[in-house]
Amino acid sequence: MFARRFLISFPIFVTMFVVQEAIVSQFKIFGGGFSLFLVFALLWAALSSPELGALTGFGAGLLMDLSQTTSSPMGQWTLIMILAGFSISYLGYGDDNFRGNPISLVIIVALAVPITRFVYLVIGLMLGGELGSVLQVLISLLTSTLWTVAIVPLLMPIVTRIHAALFEEASRG
Amino acid sequence: MRNGGDNRGRLLLISLIVTSLFLITLDLRGVSVINGLRNGSQSALSPFQSAAATVFRPVGNFFTDITRLGRTRGEIERLKAENEKLRNSLINRKNADSELEQLKSVLDLAGTAKYKVVNSKVISLGSASSFTQTISIDAGTNQGVRQNMTVISGLGLVGVVKISYPNHALVQLTTDPAFRVGARVAGSQQIGILSGQGTNKAVLQLLDNQTTLKVGDVILARGSQNNRPFVPGVPIGEVTSVDNAAGSVTQTADVKLYANFSTLSVVAVVVGAPESDPRDALVPKAPLPTPVPTVTIYATPSESRTP
Repeated sequence: MFARRFLISFPIFVTMFVVQEAIVSQFKIFGGGFSLFLVFALLWAALSSPELGALTGFGAGLLMDLSQTTSSPMGQWTLIMILAGFSISYLGYGDDNFRGNPISLVIIVALAVPITRFVYLVIGLMLGGELGSVLQVLISLLTSTLWTVAIVPLLMPIVTRIHAALFEEASRG
Repeated sequence: MRNGGDNRGRLLLISLIVTSLFLITLDLRGVSVINGLRNGSQSALSPFQSAAATVFRPVGNFFTDITRLGRTRGEIERLKAENEKLRNSLINRKNADSELEQLKSVLDLAGTAKYKVVNSKVISLGSASSFTQTISIDAGTNQGVRQNMTVISGLGLVGVVKISYPNHALVQLTTDPAFRVGARVAGSQQIGILSGQGTNKAVLQLLDNQTTLKVGDVILARGSQNNRPFVPGVPIGEVTSVDNAAGSVTQTADVKLYANFSTLSVVAVVVGAPESDPRDALVPKAPLPTPVPTVTIYATPSESRTP
């Protein structure tokens, strides 16, 4: 069942990945911009069960590792996204009040994005990566949080509808 | 753990984490499959990126330009365009110089042998996947180029016209594995058959078992009946090694071809052969040794005082 659900959602993730890599990356946005794909993946995971969240993180992380803008070792994003996907889905699992409240979803995703990026930075340092300017890192984390707050409300209606259509249909079937 | 904390969930989570750690390890160890995956994804994405760049480039700087109000963007674009223009003109100039040099040398060669030639530019290289070695040139039947005519460069034989179209022609290169030409050794006039090998070396097989070859012998085209497909006297290459196997019926040798097939840009098709065979007139001259200046110093001993 999990494999089937995972496979159903995979083309959607690939489409989002192509949109991120081909279109969003064309725009030069203040503060380094945002990762539409990361926001989408975390929002999707937040609406899923922990197992599906981990699987979502795995698939999304694999795609992020394949991005040409990723200079880290293959698997680093995968590892972080598994943990992020599992954690964000675990936090709200079984609590319909939490999941049904758009504000709590915006907050949790807006917090998850900088935390995920920070963990990525730390693991990158452990694997021999370069940090660069600390101030720049802080600005980037802050602006990505603000961009996420702006984007999630726009993205949420689409994601929740697709997610509900796919998984509620699947569970009925 | 709540509902998600059962054994199945834990197992799945651990499996995924182990998989990701496995991937990191493979990448850090430089396993080529991982690089192949990234290269593959980039190749798959590049058409989308090119298309998106074309569509979104005009608006790509919108957000940045809001703050800068377009003050610097126009200047940068203008400088970039100017830089690109200068770079292109420099490349074109280098290309023209190279073509001019090749044209000069091919005309020198044709003039020495009194060949009547049609000059042409190489417009494309043949497909490597078909295992044939060909080039296309921008001269065809309208310029007097016909099938089975010799094609030369300033250094020697390039190939033979296989198919001629109105305004271009397909040339089979000397390096093509199916290429054969009657050849003779300059000086000794021994004859043989030279076969292409797919590289810049060919194999010469002598027809007479009484004669011998030596390294450095120059190989020329022997010429065909009515000078088609090969005119006589065109330099082909130089013997680099000789096979002296005791059991072989005739002697064979490796011949390094004179023509540089990797930089071909201008060639000439011989449309008219000279009335007389140029014989060895086209044999490349051996390089002259560079004179070493000598300095002679005369030393005169000073007169010694004698008591």
